[in-house]
Amino acid sequence: MRVIALRELRRTWELLLLLTFRELKLRYQDTVLGFVWSLIKPLLLGAVLYLALRRIVRLDIPDYHLFLLSALFPWTWFQTSVMLSTPSFAHNGNLIKKVRFPRFVLPFSVVANNMVHFLLSIPILLLFILASGGRPSPLWLVGIPLLTLVQLGLLMGIVLLLASFDVFFRDLEHLTEVFLNLWFYVTPILYPLDMVPARLKPLYFMNPMSPLIEAWRKLFTENTLPGPELWVSMAFVAGAAALGVGVFRRLEGGFADAL
Amino acid sequence: MLSETSEAIVLEQVGKRYLLNLYRPDSLKTALLHLPSVLNGRQRWPFWALDDISLTIRKGESVGIIGPNGSGKSTLLRIMSRIAPPTRGKVTVRGRVSALLELGSGFHPQITGRENAILNAVLLGLNLREARERMPEIIEFSELGDFIDQPMRTYSSGMFVRLGFAVAVHVRPEVLLVDEVLAVGDAEFQSKCFAHIEKLRAENVTIVLVSHDLWSVARFCDRVVYLTQGRIVMDGPPQPVIHEYLSRIALLTSLPTPMPSGAPEI
Repeated sequence: MRVIALRELRRTWELLLLLTFRELKLRYQDTVLGFVWSLIKPLLLGAVLYLALRRIVRLDIPDYHLFLLSALFPWTWFQTSVMLSTPSFAHNGNLIKKVRFPRFVLPFSVVANNMVHFLLSIPILLLFILASGGRPSPLWLVGIPLLTLVQLGLLMGIVLLLASFDVFFRDLEHLTEVFLNLWFYVTPILYPLDMVPARLKPLYFMNPMSPLIEAWRKLFTENTLPGPELWVSMAFVAGAAALGVGVFRRLEGGFADAL
Repeated sequence: MLSETSEAIVLEQVGKRYLLNLYRPDSLKTALLHLPSVLNGRQRWPFWALDDISLTIRKGESVGIIGPNGSGKSTLLRIMSRIAPPTRGKVTVRGRVSALLELGSGFHPQITGRENAILNAVLLGLNLREARERMPEIIEFSELGDFIDQPMRTYSSGMFVRLGFAVAVHVRPEVLLVDEVLAVGDAEFQSKCFAHIEKLRAENVTIVLVSHDLWSVARFCDRVVYLTQGRIVMDGPPQPVIHEYLSRIALLTSLPTPMPSGAPEI
């Protein structure tokens, strides 16, 4: 039994890798700019936000472009993953109905694919930081893997939950899209957490992305490792994972019949 | 103990119920409008696709499943392959299962035949190293030649199913479940598929074949199960079971012809 379990584990891992590579390859196939699109999109969004908030609203934050991009890149990973993986069971009905394989690889490969895009955007961020006279610190080598793992864990729980429910309730795809747009504004991406009035702060700590985004930003712009506030996100990781796995296991049996 | 390990598939009083919606709440608005009736299930109509199926298939046996459309043949294969769970009863399957419910499930038109074949082989149960090792055999069997490195959107439908079949039979299953997919390609490729199934049979692979092609069922199976309306009508050697099936069809098709007066209405 042990040998079979190990074999299955290995195959599942390879399946995840193959699907991730396929998605990476397919995403910008036949486009002229290819992977560059993954950079252009958040950069353009960043440029517009910079213009609006720094030049027009005149938010008084030094190096606002770094402030913005260091939060926007990890957020793009989060948002794109959640949005694209929610329908990943529902849109692969044909496969789920005809082949028996570990189904969770479908949403996870979307998350992994977007993680690769995020990691590849870090050098661009580094260029911006160097151009503004900043210097990266060796702490990045600890901080990037640590925060990547936390965000990966959070995403895996969330996407398992959403993708499983979506099989039975397709409205979720649209709800998720709307909700993610709102989530963007209630997460300290455009503004620092310090600017949030004390009265609202407790609400901010109910959002797992808010300490995580703050931690990414502090790592990239201040070269500091996350403090205890990240434990809030960690607790959400555990909760999301437990909920996601629980719901997935409960609903998985019905996928083939519902699709 | 010996008898226990020689069983490849055991179904014990298996039933599969589908809840058919009289109307389907496919959007939030309709779901909310009809919430009370949706919640108490009044709008759903239970349909037993399989009912009280008990079946034991021994290792190395080739079993054909026949029956009219909608008799539950494909549902039975889906339950044996554990793609869908049974509503009632117990399913035990021993050994590596490969289910050929459809050829080339998951093939993506934008990537090459080779990339698709490797992904498909891993989906069907091989690990990556095994999949790569078997690629030469798969390519040879599929007769695709240099086309293997072209994107699959350039393939004809025949090439598509040939590659699908080639991958499926090269994953070396211990239990092979086949649903009506043997009728692929031209006559020459078909006979090659049949020869390959014959070879697997000789290697003691357990085979369950769902088909409307009674000729191939008679040729490849040691045993035939005849299903109607989710129940087993007859289970035994091919000749008598196929004969029974054909005579029932003959009875049904003779109905529209004028009947002697006083004949019972059906």
